[in-house]
Amino acid sequence: MTPALSAWNLGKRFHRVWGLRHCTLTIPEGAIVGLVGPNAAGKSALLALAAGLLAPTEGSLAVLGRDPLAEPAVLAEVGFLPQGAPLYRSFTVSQATEFARRTNPRWDAEIVAGMLERLSPHTKVGTLSTGDRTQLALALVLGKWPRLLLLDEPFAGLDPFACREFLQLLMEGVALISPTVVIASHVMADIERVCDGVVLLAEGRVRLEGQVESLLESHRVLLGPRRPIGAIRGVREIVRERHSGRQLTLLVEVDGPVLDPSWVVERVSLEELLLAYISPDRLRTPKPSEGIPLQWHG
Amino acid sequence: MAWVTWQQHRAQLFVGVSLLAALAVAAIGTHIPIAAAYSHEALPYCLPPSERAGCDLLVARFQEEFGSWATVVRGLAVLPALAGLFVGAPLLAREFEHGTYRVAWTQGVTRRGWLLSKSALLALATIVVAGLTSLLVMWWREPFDALEGRMAPSAFDVEGLVVPAYAVFALAVGVLAGLVLRRTVAAMTATLVVFVAVRVLVLVFLRPRFMTARHQTVLPSATGARSTEWVLSDTLVDAGGKQVSAPRENLAILHAHQASVDPQTYVDSLGWKRIVSYQPAGRFWTFQLLEAGLFFSLALAITAVAVWLVRRTPA
Amino acid sequence: MRVLQFHLDPSSGVATYLQIVQQVKEALRLGTVEVGDQLPTVRDVVADLAINPNTVAKAYRLLESEGLVVARQGRGTFVSSTLAPPSLHHHDALRAELELWLASAIRAGLDDESIRALISATLRQARRPAAA
Repeated sequence: MTPALSAWNLGKRFHRVWGLRHCTLTIPEGAIVGLVGPNAAGKSALLALAAGLLAPTEGSLAVLGRDPLAEPAVLAEVGFLPQGAPLYRSFTVSQATEFARRTNPRWDAEIVAGMLERLSPHTKVGTLSTGDRTQLALALVLGKWPRLLLLDEPFAGLDPFACREFLQLLMEGVALISPTVVIASHVMADIERVCDGVVLLAEGRVRLEGQVESLLESHRVLLGPRRPIGAIRGVREIVRERHSGRQLTLLVEVDGPVLDPSWVVERVSLEELLLAYISPDRLRTPKPSEGIPLQWHG
Repeated sequence: MAWVTWQQHRAQLFVGVSLLAALAVAAIGTHIPIAAAYSHEALPYCLPPSERAGCDLLVARFQEEFGSWATVVRGLAVLPALAGLFVGAPLLAREFEHGTYRVAWTQGVTRRGWLLSKSALLALATIVVAGLTSLLVMWWREPFDALEGRMAPSAFDVEGLVVPAYAVFALAVGVLAGLVLRRTVAAMTATLVVFVAVRVLVLVFLRPRFMTARHQTVLPSATGARSTEWVLSDTLVDAGGKQVSAPRENLAILHAHQASVDPQTYVDSLGWKRIVSYQPAGRFWTFQLLEAGLFFSLALAITAVAVWLVRRTPA
Repeated sequence: MRVLQFHLDPSSGVATYLQIVQQVKEALRLGTVEVGDQLPTVRDVVADLAINPNTVAKAYRLLESEGLVVARQGRGTFVSSTLAPPSLHHHDALRAELELWLASAIRAGLDDESIRALISATLRQARRPAAA
């Protein structure tokens, strides 16, 4: 099965700054993936490249098996919700719907109508709240029955209620259409709820990539008295080491049960895990990509 | 795309049509006194190259009476630029400024198809509106054209086929400027500068050379003869054919005054002549076709560049 | 027939799909759903809770593998058997064992909080499928 999105050594430079570098990843069809990382991590750049709005500086990428720049027809199957949902503000809701209907070969009017029940068709897009406008943009992008759905920071500017409403709508659409979904967000809380997999970007590079469940299973937090540590049985690698006073906290990758009685073992939340991989106090220095894409990157 | 273009630009079309309607009303209103004066003063009998007595006076009075209106009509030469400034330049620049290109260019319509369709439909509308304006002006200027001819730029530029050609050219320049500069105000400025520059260059260097100019030798005293031709140059030469410089001409006039002789007759007697180079009135439509063809071709080329460039524009 | 509504506790440490499984089983035990009732569609659950549809599908699959529900192609998932409530007999024996254990714990010096913590942690551990 062709992956929905794949990138090989993808890089994008903006003037002198590399927004994205050495990005290699594969997102299988049907997955719901969270693309997370701090601001300016390269998330928007990656999505813009996938949507055919930017040309790579180096490397390559394939969307549903095709290059979006060479074969722009593939965009008929890609639903892109840009940051800020920049719909035409002078259009009314019904005109915006008509615009989407007429510029796409596939259209499901029923799905769209169902999602827009709350909005009056004659309201101008420019007068909608951010939450409503984002929901409208979501409905329009789902109406084209995309095989790949790209959402760039959809939660920006949304209060918690609007966030929840948006996610409900999104998941309902996903249940109906079963697209591959990539959500870029620096808000990690909702990602865990909704995503099967996660890709962590920081400073333009992929730091971590994998299934949420297996990542949570393969990491633990170890608490113990502060002392020099040797090898701990069951621990494959120490991801982050913190100490305060007389306590030592380690976030570790494990490859077996940690039975050492001198450590208290706890599970880690996804947010903690991701933050640990972003922060620079890693003990290992990053190595350049080792040929075959690994789960860890630097 | 027709629906999309219509939805996004119908306000502009409405403004254009309203402008045309306002012009039509003004034209009809002002035409009545003009037509009345024209026939009342028997001006049809004074058409060049008629030399009837009293005609000079009649024509001068007619031109003085309605001269201000005629000047306004000359000012309509700026209208074609509006297509570039207010339709062409914002087309792409606004998409970039508002970020809406991120929605417009990620649908099932390719960027090139999107731009091509929009440009073609807008060009069509522009041609129609500009064409109607041109017809309106030609109708209004009939008496003036009969008396003064329409080869001179003041008439040539607002009549005939060139008006829609200028407008479509301005539109294309605006679209490309918007694509390259991505800011509406900058694109409008660039469009205006380019439009004026190209128009001036064609007017000054190309149009006089569309066909070889004709020459006529006349007596120096025969100034003020009215004609419908487009006079390109009027040089005073001596009996040997050499151009007479201004100081030399002034000296001759001084001699004439000293001798208490009419300067015009004196200069005639010296064997001096005036050589007039001009484009005859009969070439009006040929020149119109040539210039309109030039500007339409430029518009097509510029649009092709924009359509090619739009795919390569990383946004 | 009452429509089941699920609720999530994201801080409980229990995987989402397991929480759904637990809630279905609870409903079966309490008799709020009976054989033949339809479970909420994946679409409805997901539109309510805003979770991954795969999670719901996984929960339903697990229930099906335990023989409690059956998925009918195109029509939904239906309850196919009930869960017998544990008989009172078991309750008495378990209670006696618990009293003995509690006496040991109190003798060892554990206070009420510690006892509850120990019970919760051990219960959580016991419920989890084979982990790292």
